[in-house]
Amino acid sequence: MWQKSKPYLLLLPATGAIVLLFFGGLFDGMLKSLGYFPAIGERQLHLTAYTELLSSDSFWESLSLTLRVAAISSLLAGILGGMLAIALFMMNQSTKAKESRLWQRLFQLPLTIPHLVAGYVIVLLFMQSGLFSKLLATVGIIDQITDFPVLVNDPFGWGIILAYTWKEVPFVLLMVYPVLARIRDSWRDVSRVYGAGNLSFIREIALPIMMPSWIIAVFIVFVFTFSAFEIPFLLGVTYPSMLPVYSFQLYTSGTLADRPEALAVNIILALMTIVLGLIAYYFSKRWNVTKGWQ
Amino acid sequence: MNGLRIEQIEKKYMTAETGQKESFALEPIDLAIHEGEFVSLLGPSGCGKTTLLKLTAGLLQPDAGKIRFGNIDITLIPPESRRFSMVFQEPLLFPHMTIGDNVSFGLKMQKVAKKERQFEATRMLEMVGLAGYEGRFPEELSGGQQQRAALARALVAKPRVLLMDEPFSALDPGLREDMRELLSGIQRELEVTVLFVTHDREEAFEISDRIGIMSDGRLLQVGTPTELYEQPASTKVASFLGLKNIIKGNIRAGHFASEDSGIEFHTGKPIIDGKHFLILRPEVLRPITSSSKPQNDSVHLKGKVSKLKFKQGSYIAQILAGNQQLECTLSREEAEELEPAQAIELYVNQTDLQFVEH
Repeated sequence: MWQKSKPYLLLLPATGAIVLLFFGGLFDGMLKSLGYFPAIGERQLHLTAYTELLSSDSFWESLSLTLRVAAISSLLAGILGGMLAIALFMMNQSTKAKESRLWQRLFQLPLTIPHLVAGYVIVLLFMQSGLFSKLLATVGIIDQITDFPVLVNDPFGWGIILAYTWKEVPFVLLMVYPVLARIRDSWRDVSRVYGAGNLSFIREIALPIMMPSWIIAVFIVFVFTFSAFEIPFLLGVTYPSMLPVYSFQLYTSGTLADRPEALAVNIILALMTIVLGLIAYYFSKRWNVTKGWQ
Repeated sequence: MNGLRIEQIEKKYMTAETGQKESFALEPIDLAIHEGEFVSLLGPSGCGKTTLLKLTAGLLQPDAGKIRFGNIDITLIPPESRRFSMVFQEPLLFPHMTIGDNVSFGLKMQKVAKKERQFEATRMLEMVGLAGYEGRFPEELSGGQQQRAALARALVAKPRVLLMDEPFSALDPGLREDMRELLSGIQRELEVTVLFVTHDREEAFEISDRIGIMSDGRLLQVGTPTELYEQPASTKVASFLGLKNIIKGNIRAGHFASEDSGIEFHTGKPIIDGKHFLILRPEVLRPITSSSKPQNDSVHLKGKVSKLKFKQGSYIAQILAGNQQLECTLSREEAEELEPAQAIELYVNQTDLQFVEH
């Protein structure tokens, strides 16, 4: 009996902490979003916070900005990461295996940098008074630094997109490259003998094989950028703000009455993440992407 | 003629550490393969067979020499443009593609329309005994079935030359035999030119029109299976072909004497004086019995039976003649008259004596 339950008991402290912090926090947030807020005398459950949120323009504008930024940055990171993975793989297949390993390490560097630091890097490089605008003005491509496009703290969210793309490309690479590395050298020989040049090999062999992990990587990036806070807070504008920032603004607005709405935003974010996860899972099953490549 | 010609092909490999010391070299090789011919390269592991095959496929670039198909020099043409096919030691089917897609891969690369591709793939799968397997994935097939699918993939593209790198070596013996028969039948039916690499003598002798014996990066002899077996050009070829009775000796004035002088006879034909090896195939050594009729000019040898072994329908007798251990093949009737330590007289017809210069 003791032998059987020992592993579970040993795991109990860690599991307890995770359950308490994750599900406890989520449950508390959900209760408060439903109006249960004993601190201000509210003990009844109702959907007021949700109805007010869904009828406000600010919420919809925030949601639209969040979806746009998350979609563009995950797609860009996915495309660039995928291209880099294939380039490194092809380099490794050729005689330049050593160079390939060097480039791979170099591309992994941004992984070590925290998101907040990445945000500051974008500020320093792409602000109108940043390094690039000064360089362009110095070489005469633009007359003055104010001619440089507004890429940081802009309403479209280019700054945030740039930061996430730069930060997440190595992540996609990290997810995809090991799968490509499983492709056997002899498959390249087989495909060449049967008439496949480099492009055909990439199209027919490399891409289908990396697609399942690429989809998962892009989905993770999407979900992360969809619900991350620090970069949108640093590089975004006050209005419209991305949903996590919007939630923070509501939560810290000074009045306790706005808190249920702030927490409702978080619950909506969590629900959307779950729905997106289910959609990704459904399509990955439907396309049978891993069939034959276990 | 749309045959394949390999002319003075050379390839050197340097050691990985220094890049200066030569670790392996394929000596200049010449080989002509006629259209529709089945030629095997036979040799031990590491003798350069696969290197020669990869050079022919274009997967490796030679250091010198040329490869021609018909009158066209294809040495610098990349493998994807040669329209050759290759079957490897392993099936190497693409795991994410169905068997149908794997088989029609070459046709897809040739931009053949989808319907035609599917039709051809189905036809070829039927030919290799895999009808109805189009929709399955490679992992759902056994090793033998996968190799059949790989063969179908190679043949469906109507290759100018089919290159095969020990394709049946990973299969169990029974399956290997089935695959040889299948390949032989299909090759004759489609009249495809085949260059086949193997280290299995039996396999090479069973399916080849001609065989090239390779050793240490050199092509030692090319000939039909019968030519090679009956007239090996060197002791290396003879021992690789499994010939046991190779006797070192001297020829002087038409007289052969083994080094230990245990075997001596008149050669009966003019052979240049000097050091020679005498090669006696086990089946040409015949015991003299009441029913045997040796020719008048046959060579007679005396010895003692040291061992008798039964081997799949026949007997192998080991006979000590002088200091030489000779092996001879006997029928059951012949073997039943003998027992170990018994004296025996053997004869060899003059035409079966094979001398190779030292």
